[in-house]
Amino acid sequence: MISFILRRIAYAIPVLLGVAFITLLLFDVASGDPVSIKLGKNPDPVEVEALRIELGLDRPLLGRYFDFLKQIVTLDFGKSWADDTPVREIFKRGVLPTLSLSVPAFLLGGGVSVSVSLLVAFYRGTLLDKVTTAAAIAGISVSSLIYILVGQWLLADQWKLFPIWGYEYGPSAVYFLALPIFIWVLLSVGTDVRYYRTVALEEIRKDYVRTARSKGLAERRILFTHVLKNCSVPIITRLTIAVPFLITGSFLLEIFFGIPGLGSTLLTAITNSDLPVVKAFTILGAVLYVIFNILADVFYAILDPRIRLG
Amino acid sequence: MTSHAANEDAPVTQPPRTPASEAWRRFKRNRSAVVCLAIFTAYFLIALSGQAIELFQGSPFLYDLTLNEMGLDYEEGANAPSTGSWLALFGTTSAGKSVLLRVFHGTKVAFIVGTFGAGLAVIIGMTLGLMAGFMGRWVDEVVQYLYSTIASIPYLLLMLALAFIIRQGPVSAWYQERFFAEYISLGLFNIVLVIGLTSWVTLCRLVRAEVKKVRELEYVQAARALGFSDTRIMFKHVLPNVFHLVIINFSLTFVTAIKSEVILTFLGVGVDREPSWGQMIADAKSELMQGIWWPLAAAGIALFVLTLAVNYVGDALRDALDPRLTE
Repeated sequence: MISFILRRIAYAIPVLLGVAFITLLLFDVASGDPVSIKLGKNPDPVEVEALRIELGLDRPLLGRYFDFLKQIVTLDFGKSWADDTPVREIFKRGVLPTLSLSVPAFLLGGGVSVSVSLLVAFYRGTLLDKVTTAAAIAGISVSSLIYILVGQWLLADQWKLFPIWGYEYGPSAVYFLALPIFIWVLLSVGTDVRYYRTVALEEIRKDYVRTARSKGLAERRILFTHVLKNCSVPIITRLTIAVPFLITGSFLLEIFFGIPGLGSTLLTAITNSDLPVVKAFTILGAVLYVIFNILADVFYAILDPRIRLG
Repeated sequence: MTSHAANEDAPVTQPPRTPASEAWRRFKRNRSAVVCLAIFTAYFLIALSGQAIELFQGSPFLYDLTLNEMGLDYEEGANAPSTGSWLALFGTTSAGKSVLLRVFHGTKVAFIVGTFGAGLAVIIGMTLGLMAGFMGRWVDEVVQYLYSTIASIPYLLLMLALAFIIRQGPVSAWYQERFFAEYISLGLFNIVLVIGLTSWVTLCRLVRAEVKKVRELEYVQAARALGFSDTRIMFKHVLPNVFHLVIINFSLTFVTAIKSEVILTFLGVGVDREPSWGQMIADAKSELMQGIWWPLAAAGIALFVLTLAVNYVGDALRDALDPRLTE
């Protein structure tokens, strides 16, 4: 097991090096000249020279690449161009609001999707199944922006059930987070139910289910002990892979509801051409993604003894 | 004896079925999918005729004129949907422009984004997947490395970063000097590029895995024995056997591309200077609070029906084309 994990980590290193290189290329080379982005169209040549040296742009690409790797390892991404706050501070500020939105929404959404899809798999082929599947496909066909706009307009503006906009630290945050959490769950349920239903139905067709039936086990028991156990592998894998996106947050929900999290921070950075923040964001997102992919593989190996670690 | 045989459903008299006609026969059996295909065709015709009218008429485009400027008797500013003139069927925006015409132009934008964005993604994914699966060895290693790296950057982040960079960088400058920049605006071109460069990973993985299996089949060995070149075997013999994956994936990417356009445009890195569904939804944010709901409803429903239709057709295509599901 340990050698499997180590091998998996070793395999992730070149991928991360590649991601770092792509990020550097994207932001320092393909974007044209970072200096002109920061200083505008007609800057003072002296200022330009000073900034080029400050940002290390006078050095060869490989040297800048190693600098960037050092930044990633030490988690020190320099200062924001917009207001000179260290990027690390910006992240610290945004993490709490983001997680207070994404974690409850993720747990709630996961719970709802898994139970609905098991229920639908239990009643497969009936009207309930058909209606739910049709509703799911209709649900994923609506743009996420429509959910947010209509939800905000109808539930908050017209019916005054929730506040339209804003955030408070502390327990009163619940008041502001209820509507965005609700919309997040709505957004995720359609895709997830479709996925989990397929997973459950594939399991139900397998031989061990027929064996269990011929033994005379109740359908309910087959579904909730035998099938659920076998489904848990893809379910947990999917949930684990989704975790990094909890930290990057939901850009759209944060912007619409004025939650000062990482998503809205990133968007502000993009509109201000604040390269250090966007760069740090991209690379951190990728690092988290790689880490949680490794975790998903490890869970997979623990949960399913049939998987050989060779 | 002969007359007796003619009375029965003699298999001899039936023309041989090609895989395509077989798939179409199975697709047709799904009534709702056929309806959805018809809806899709209707959208396509709207997009096409909108483009044709614009080419003829030139600027200023009709969608940029208010109904008053077109000589119609309507109030300045927003008008609720009414049946007076077909231009006011979906009402007018807060600036007094026809919502219907803007939805039509948005349809054109959606088709360009969907077709070219998904097309680019499918071509990249298919070619790389085919090469990796068929050639194996270092080509496979390189392609695998490439897609694990791309897949490691969170999707929306990669799209936003790329959109942001293409706007700033030399690619935009190059594009604006080309002759086709007149027909497909820079913002639109950026989106196509962003979607094409970010959405090929899934298909690449699928094609690679499938080609690895197909490569070992006898008919490929036979082709090798006949001395055919690798390129010929890959594109003429292996590709048709994995092409169902390409078609299904194209339909899925087509909708994701259109939905991505809406989000990117909304976030300010997408289509500008012409109406698109994303642009309309972005404008609707402030209009909605004044009670002007129809532009949002029109753009939202147009997007919803197209997405639903393509999703449905995609599902039916999967059922019709997947060789494992044949009876």
